[in-house]
Amino acid sequence: VSTDRTVYAIRVDGHLDDHWSTWVDALELTRGADGTTTLTVAVADQAQLHGVLASLRDLGAVLTGLRIVTATLGRRMAAVRAPQFSLPSVGAGEVTLASLTAAGPALVVFVAEECPTSRLALRRLAAVAEGLAGDGIALAVVFEDPLAVAARTARTAGLEATLVSEPPPYATSRAYELVSVPTAVLVDRDGGEAGRVVGWDVEAWDALLAVAAAQAGVAPRRFPVDEPRQKPGCGAKSTYDEATMRLDAAAGSAAEEIEDLFGLGWTDGLPVVPPTRDRVAAMLGGRAPGATLGPVPPGMGEATLERVAACAVLAGCRPAYFPVVLAACEAALEEGFNLNGQAVTTSPPGQLIVVNGPVREAVGLNAGMGALGPGWRANLTIGRALRLLVELTGGGMPGGLDRATLGHAGKVGACIAEAEEVSPWEPLSVERGFAPGTSTVTLIAADSPLSISDHRSTTPEQLASCLGWAAASQWSTNWWPLAATSLFVVCPEHARLFADAGWRKADVRTAIYEAVQRPARELRGFGEVPPETMAADPDTPIHKWSRPEDLLLIVAGGEAGRFSAVYGPSLGMGAEVISREVAA
Amino acid sequence: MTDYVSPFDPRARGDDPLAPRPPTLAGRRVALLDISKNRGAEFLDRIEERLRADGATTARFAKPLFSRAAAGELIERVAIHGDLAVEGLAD
Repeated sequence: VSTDRTVYAIRVDGHLDDHWSTWVDALELTRGADGTTTLTVAVADQAQLHGVLASLRDLGAVLTGLRIVTATLGRRMAAVRAPQFSLPSVGAGEVTLASLTAAGPALVVFVAEECPTSRLALRRLAAVAEGLAGDGIALAVVFEDPLAVAARTARTAGLEATLVSEPPPYATSRAYELVSVPTAVLVDRDGGEAGRVVGWDVEAWDALLAVAAAQAGVAPRRFPVDEPRQKPGCGAKSTYDEATMRLDAAAGSAAEEIEDLFGLGWTDGLPVVPPTRDRVAAMLGGRAPGATLGPVPPGMGEATLERVAACAVLAGCRPAYFPVVLAACEAALEEGFNLNGQAVTTSPPGQLIVVNGPVREAVGLNAGMGALGPGWRANLTIGRALRLLVELTGGGMPGGLDRATLGHAGKVGACIAEAEEVSPWEPLSVERGFAPGTSTVTLIAADSPLSISDHRSTTPEQLASCLGWAAASQWSTNWWPLAATSLFVVCPEHARLFADAGWRKADVRTAIYEAVQRPARELRGFGEVPPETMAADPDTPIHKWSRPEDLLLIVAGGEAGRFSAVYGPSLGMGAEVISREVAA
Repeated sequence: MTDYVSPFDPRARGDDPLAPRPPTLAGRRVALLDISKNRGAEFLDRIEERLRADGATTARFAKPLFSRAAAGELIERVAIHGDLAVEGLAD
């Protein structure tokens, strides 16, 4: 039994009062700014429509417009139930139609991100969503897109609602016999379809809300009447033939853009974020695109801020990270750092960034559990942005001008933060002469880190020896002294053992330096030996490090576990450690 | 394709092609550049002997640290004193 009713918008001259609504059984009565009144009525057939028009004429109203609204109310209400579905949602697990209608009517809106009318509908829904929730009317948006796209699209529209994702081949859309998106379907508490709107038509959507409100026993809500008041939708993906769907999945997709950028060589070997003009402008944040940080070795491409921003976008940085990226690039380009040597050498160094100060928290840098490892966007992308500048703008691509025999994983990008709040000592930035509370980056030419486990030492002397001797093979087994910087990352438990014994950073540094020494003769058996050690008296004690100052210490890592680490040095570069303040 | 902002500088230095090889070394001035890498001087000593045996004249130059680019003034001197140059990359 079909009980479908067609909705009409009838416009008459003058501002009519609310009684008219009752006389013609209107769903809605809207008084326009142009001095007209629009009555929205739902009728079963033409005879009923003529009846309504006759009533208006008899009551003296002057008819100036009549239009079929895109809503259909009571569609197949008695005969067909709204098809059930169970789909994954953003943040609420599987969502079923039954769960949506458990407490009242539900408005189920089918959309696709690429459809402008869908996005318009989502922006309009944003204005009423909170009210509907309070009215006991459930609102669920079914995206013909992946969950991540659904979340982003709703966020962009400012909409808070239940968001579900329907994967190809769009079985739910097919079950609902969707033609285009957006399509709004009102499902009553008993699971019957109580109305449907296709495309955007503010009067039709208002009519649907009016029916929902009647079912929920509340006053109806209205959508804002911003232009456009009507807009046709776009073909639902469920209607695509298979070939179109396949082409659609490939053409213009994010995956294809990433492939394009691989093809152009705008990559370090990992997927990149396409550096569109909008994204680069957002990264620049108003900075002058043509301003320059100087030439980037080894190819001496000019590091304009626009190119640095492009690298930051490619790396996956958020605009909030850019001040850190800029400070790191400035530091890396300082003469004393000898990026030129690092970028072309057969030896392995990457450019390690250590961040101190409040900017760590501001941009979400991790200094805790897994501080040297994966999992944190800021750490991974800031380090990667600098490396992309060297590889792309500077032309220092491995296998090209970069002649590294092996390289190491940290050359993809390495940015770590000091756990200042956990550390018993002054932060690296303060040791380097900055006021406490200053945000800084410190650049170190560094080989890969070596992890050092020590769960047994009970005295600071034992622990210092363990850390030092683990590092004693750095660069090469018999290359003593190093004449380069080693960075020890001391885990919180190790730092506490030192601090509980009253040791300051300087004490740890001196103890490691003093612990690791051997007579010159023991170092001459094989491998690389520095000329001065070859020439030394056989019994002369040789230290692993040239001076205690070559040992840098920071505290980072998880609260549990006695694993510290040491970043290997970069020899032969004469690379100074460079610190820079991060501009606010 | 979408309009992207390039990270590349079209004026950056790429891979320079090799200069044309001279047909003979006899009578040519060869600049020998020691980049101060371990045993680089030994290598250049041997090369110098061979070059002289072939009738070339030689001049020795050095830069202080192998990993840093040569100063412009040094490059100029090498260019003035040599028809061609040999750099000792060693270890």
